[in-house]
Amino acid sequence: MTGSIEVRGLSRTFHTTVRRPGFAGALRSLVNPERVAKHAVSDISFDVAPGELLALLGPNGAGKSTTIKMLTGILTPTSGEARVADVVPYEERERNARNIGAVFGQRTQLWWDLPVKESFAILRDIYDVPKAEHSARLREFDDILELSAFWDTRVRHLSLGQRVRCDLAAALLHDPPVVFLDEPTIGMDVVVKEQVREFLRHQVEQRGRTVLLTTHDMTEVERLAERVVLINHGRLVLDGTLDEIRRKFGSTWQVRATLADGHTDVVPPPGIALLRQDGPQVVFGPDGSEAPTVHQALKAVIERYEVTDIAIDEADLEDVMRVAYAHAGPPAEGA
Amino acid sequence: MAVLHAWRTARVTPLGELHAPPRMTAVLVRLTVQVVLVASLWSGLYAHTGATAGMTREQAISYAVLAALASRLRELDQYAGRDTVIQHVHFGTIVYWYLRPLPPARYHALRALGEQIYGAAWALAGFAVCLAVGVVQPPKSAAVAGVFVLSLLLGQLILYFIMLLIDQWCFWMLRNTSAVLILIFAQNLMSGVYAPLWFFPGWFRTLSTYLPFQATLNVPLSLYVGRIQLSDAGRQLAIQAGWVVVLFLFTRFLWRRAARRVISQGG
Repeated sequence: MTGSIEVRGLSRTFHTTVRRPGFAGALRSLVNPERVAKHAVSDISFDVAPGELLALLGPNGAGKSTTIKMLTGILTPTSGEARVADVVPYEERERNARNIGAVFGQRTQLWWDLPVKESFAILRDIYDVPKAEHSARLREFDDILELSAFWDTRVRHLSLGQRVRCDLAAALLHDPPVVFLDEPTIGMDVVVKEQVREFLRHQVEQRGRTVLLTTHDMTEVERLAERVVLINHGRLVLDGTLDEIRRKFGSTWQVRATLADGHTDVVPPPGIALLRQDGPQVVFGPDGSEAPTVHQALKAVIERYEVTDIAIDEADLEDVMRVAYAHAGPPAEGA
Repeated sequence: MAVLHAWRTARVTPLGELHAPPRMTAVLVRLTVQVVLVASLWSGLYAHTGATAGMTREQAISYAVLAALASRLRELDQYAGRDTVIQHVHFGTIVYWYLRPLPPARYHALRALGEQIYGAAWALAGFAVCLAVGVVQPPKSAAVAGVFVLSLLLGQLILYFIMLLIDQWCFWMLRNTSAVLILIFAQNLMSGVYAPLWFFPGWFRTLSTYLPFQATLNVPLSLYVGRIQLSDAGRQLAIQAGWVVVLFLFTRFLWRRAARRVISQGG
């Protein structure tokens, strides 16, 4: 069994009832409900290799969670096919369950009234994990996540960071080759976030697990993912490495220059726009789709003007993704 | 085969209760107060009369006290433990039920089994005390005791399926508060918790025979106190078994439908 994920033309359409505004509208909706189709995911295809960590990115409502729910077998796609560790997840839920682990944001799968270790023991029984194996895995998880400090505490008394660490451990206790993490570090402090990232790196690099991660935290993406799939309005916008994304969407540089006396009427070089001017201080940025790279722009500015000071600001990944989301195309039909 | 290894799931509620001593104290106080009040009420009602509705004073008190004890079998504080189906659907954690190799129907049944056994321990302890102080009369014979236990087991199975129906309702409506309130009232009224069904008018008892509620408590308790004779026990047990089969098939059908409607909030 390999921990690969194969997605081919996956689509999911939800049918909802439109609620008309006002009292009369509500009555009309009651008598004559208007049903509309919402295409949450449309014709998405991608692969994740065994032992790879892929970040599935997109703005809110892009279709990330729906995609994950189909890959975990919770939702059945309207069309298309997915295979996770050689299993069609929505057709063989129980078999698929043994191959996958999942954490959905702040939603815990632990039993609220019981100490964490009891939850782990229940999961051990459900997944039929041998006791020795279970103990060894708990020790391994404890080394990085420092669970033993609070695993005798009832879940209801844990902090968010403690609970999510326990949920991560719970999702991996049965040694699944594939792990789905839907915004696992949302709401956590930076220290715990880093601890979780280290844990995930360890699971991918040392244990060879395949991880599909959704997050809005670009630092997390930079630290963990080499490859990114970007979806928006339910459609796949880009599938590539972080470098490829930067090349495609990362041209949001700025060149800040202080010009020598006499440059009051600034006409920027071709492909470069004057964004701001405050006396001798000017800020240039890319102009249009044929804009030069930041280094070409720097050279062009220096050649054209006499400058006393100059600096460049390159966009970080968050800026890049902002541009990528903005360029992600029109909404899918019917969405 | 996961169900064989998942016995620990049945411990969730009892263990949760043991970790929350105030809740156990509350159960003890509630049970004691309820038994004392029920016994006092029926003693008072029979103070100036002999047999009423075909029941003697002793039969009526035994029936009412046993009903109070039996109603504790599944009346646990799952809400505080964030472990009701409505809460799982509301918080989106119901998805985890579908991500495990243990099917949700079996998980739900195992959880309920643990609750029943835990509740039975309370009811048995209460029964022993009531028997010792003479509030409850012992069964007339070993045969009556045996038939009562069998009938009570079938009744609890029927009650489980009724509660399951209400839980399954959440998959469609996302809320079940009203349904639960109606069910609790109907269950208590038509099973004999509020008062033995024998005290109700004929039309009400006829109506009750077409519904499953009276089979949960009224039948086993009536067998215990001798209001239903042993000669009629076979027919009553067969009716209970029939309800078990019907409700089992219907809830199994709903589990299949519910699997297509697993919706979690947001995302």
